[in-house]
Amino acid sequence: MDKEHIQQERRGFLKQFGATMGAAGLGAAGLGTAAYVAAPRTANAAVQPKGNIPAKPIKVGHITFLTGAAELLGGPGQRGHVLAMEEINAQGGVLGKRKIETIFADEAAGTDSNVKELRRMKLSENIDLFTGVISSGNTPALGPVAEELKVLTLFNDGCTDFLFDKAVPNPKYTFRVTNIQSADGVTAAIGTATHWPKVRRIASIQPDYSYGRNVFEHFVLALGKLLPGIEVVSESWPKLGSTDFTSHITKILGAKPDVLVVGLWGGDYVAFYKQALRYGLFDRMKVATTLAFGGYPHAIGKDHPEGVLAGVHANYHFLYPSAERWPINKDFVERYHKRWKEYPSFESDGAYTALYLYKHAVEKANQLVGGWPNDEAIIAMLEGAGIDSPAGYLYIRADNHQGYKDAVTGLSKNLPEYEFPVWDPNSIVSIPIRSITAPPNWAKPGHGHNESTAAADWIKKTWPSAKT
Amino acid sequence: MAIRQAAPAVRVRKKKTMEIVAVQVLNSLFYAAVLFLIAAGLSLIFGVMGIINMAHGSFYALGAYVTAWSVAAAAAAIPPAALFIFLPLGAVAVAVIGLAIEPTLIRPFYRRPEEYQLLVTFGLLLVLDDVIRLVWGGTPLTANRLVDFLGLVQIGALPYPVYNLMMIGVGIAAALGLWAFVYRTRFGVLLRATAQDRRMAAALGIDVGRVYALAFGLGCFMAGLGGAIVVPSQAAVLGMGVEVLVVAFVVVVIGGLGSLEGALVGALIVSALRTITIQFWEETELAALYLIAAIVLLIRPTGLFGRKS
Repeated sequence: MDKEHIQQERRGFLKQFGATMGAAGLGAAGLGTAAYVAAPRTANAAVQPKGNIPAKPIKVGHITFLTGAAELLGGPGQRGHVLAMEEINAQGGVLGKRKIETIFADEAAGTDSNVKELRRMKLSENIDLFTGVISSGNTPALGPVAEELKVLTLFNDGCTDFLFDKAVPNPKYTFRVTNIQSADGVTAAIGTATHWPKVRRIASIQPDYSYGRNVFEHFVLALGKLLPGIEVVSESWPKLGSTDFTSHITKILGAKPDVLVVGLWGGDYVAFYKQALRYGLFDRMKVATTLAFGGYPHAIGKDHPEGVLAGVHANYHFLYPSAERWPINKDFVERYHKRWKEYPSFESDGAYTALYLYKHAVEKANQLVGGWPNDEAIIAMLEGAGIDSPAGYLYIRADNHQGYKDAVTGLSKNLPEYEFPVWDPNSIVSIPIRSITAPPNWAKPGHGHNESTAAADWIKKTWPSAKT
Repeated sequence: MAIRQAAPAVRVRKKKTMEIVAVQVLNSLFYAAVLFLIAAGLSLIFGVMGIINMAHGSFYALGAYVTAWSVAAAAAAIPPAALFIFLPLGAVAVAVIGLAIEPTLIRPFYRRPEEYQLLVTFGLLLVLDDVIRLVWGGTPLTANRLVDFLGLVQIGALPYPVYNLMMIGVGIAAALGLWAFVYRTRFGVLLRATAQDRRMAAALGIDVGRVYALAFGLGCFMAGLGGAIVVPSQAAVLGMGVEVLVVAFVVVVIGGLGSLEGALVGALIVSALRTITIQFWEETELAALYLIAAIVLLIRPTGLFGRKS
């Protein structure tokens, strides 16, 4: 088969996923006509609450990283939450009556402390809603406790598949807003196959904990289906929080890969790219990351090389969807920037949208039942809910309480308008989320298969392999 | 014919392997230099004062932040070569803070049991980490100008930053300087005398309080210098202090707490072992360090150069 032909076949293959590049449309399923927008309401669109609404404030608990290296993720999450809270309160609160009061706690205190803090928040502060949580190590510990305490929970992140695959297989009170973790590695793989279809030799550097393992497994699995004959030539597993990567970089250079997949994030990624740059790594291979643009946008300097697949946890970057197609995002970014003098991250979008999602569910339930709805009524509205968020359409699947929105990634580029690198607008790859996540009710691990995630099993069993 | 064709390919591969080995040795030495600065300070403070300083990693982080911040602040105003002044300056700033902390926070706890000293220095760790976050925020700070100013050398086909070579030199100079200071100066004699028997030293008229303060300041200077020299090649990030503290403890456990030679040998062992596992058995990068520490503890509970207590 000649080269041209191979290229054609693979394009057709990628097309099956509906992945679009550049300025193509928002590829999500329509969510009906009366879209609910995660933003302050315009004056003429106010909803009339039904029945008696108490004026008592809504107590919200929010645990996120306020210290340590992961503050790079937690800080923007907290600011997204506060912005939504201030906006909702400025309009009189939820249902025009109940203002939101949030208690914050530091996720860096550790899993055990977080569990204790959630119990304290419920038992002694009597919170109505629990939000936040960044670490994939923490949601599987907090989820079962939230169910036990019967506290309505909207996790911001902590996106491990394990949470709804195993830790809380039949969630009632727990929901999660940001995309599921396996989508991250798969998105990086589709971005790699789209931009660099000729790569075959793969090197990997991942933080040595569940997230890095998940990224590596799903990246290699998906890329193996997308590109024929790939080979893993080097693996590195530095400890989370490392800052010296020189030995890893030298090892990777020695293995001569075509592409390096990087799951390092936050300060780890900053320290990594600074060293990799001086060791000439970016000149010798393509680099695909899952979280390079995941922290504060300005955490990455303009010395960051262009043309790196700069992941955002497959969730959101503030320049996409673009202003002309999705004004909701432009308006959100402006409000956020005005309030915090910086640009939002995917955690900002997640935490912000989570609070509006709650408000939306309460309002819908109120229309149906009148008065202040109980948790059961709110949960019924959250299941299957759709909301127009800054990142695009977000919907909450009823079967597993997981939020789904189209996954995105793009290539880094320095544009003169920004003091930090952003995505090259023509390089953005947007993937309909249903193309890369296991469908509703797909068997969970331990039920008919022993893959690490339902997604891995689904990819293995249903994706065709690219022909050589 | 076939053999003659194969020979150059083998030679090329051999040459490439040598390049990788050479760079890995340098990587290892650079890491060892930083580890030595931190572990030596930790050991010095323990050797003289009997304090296990849990906040030592935070002093390292403070050195990194002060240097990165001052380099960024002064970069526009002064030529790049002059920015190197901020490396020792970061260390001096940390030493000054150490000199202020010893008499106020540490001194009242000398007569208390060890767990109180651990608690107070651990508290100091938490306070310093929060201070760093309050002052500089969560965004990583960098000082790459220093690395870029010195440029790169080619080791075969692989580029290597000249800055890293220089800092290996700084590490060696610091080791020699510290050795000369402790074993060849009058203050070194006072330091060792105080370490051996505090009450006897005091009875002989040595100002023990001053020796303690200076030892603590010197230990902080070393930690600050470690942070200052590492930051241009990496970045100053939250949590870097705790991260390095754990490895520094592995170093002193292997080398022997309180021994400078131990800190040097421990740093070299830990750093070489880390590089070897990264290169050949990537899955054991973390386990190997703790395993070797456990083996040393089993065979020589006081570490390779530790004194029997």
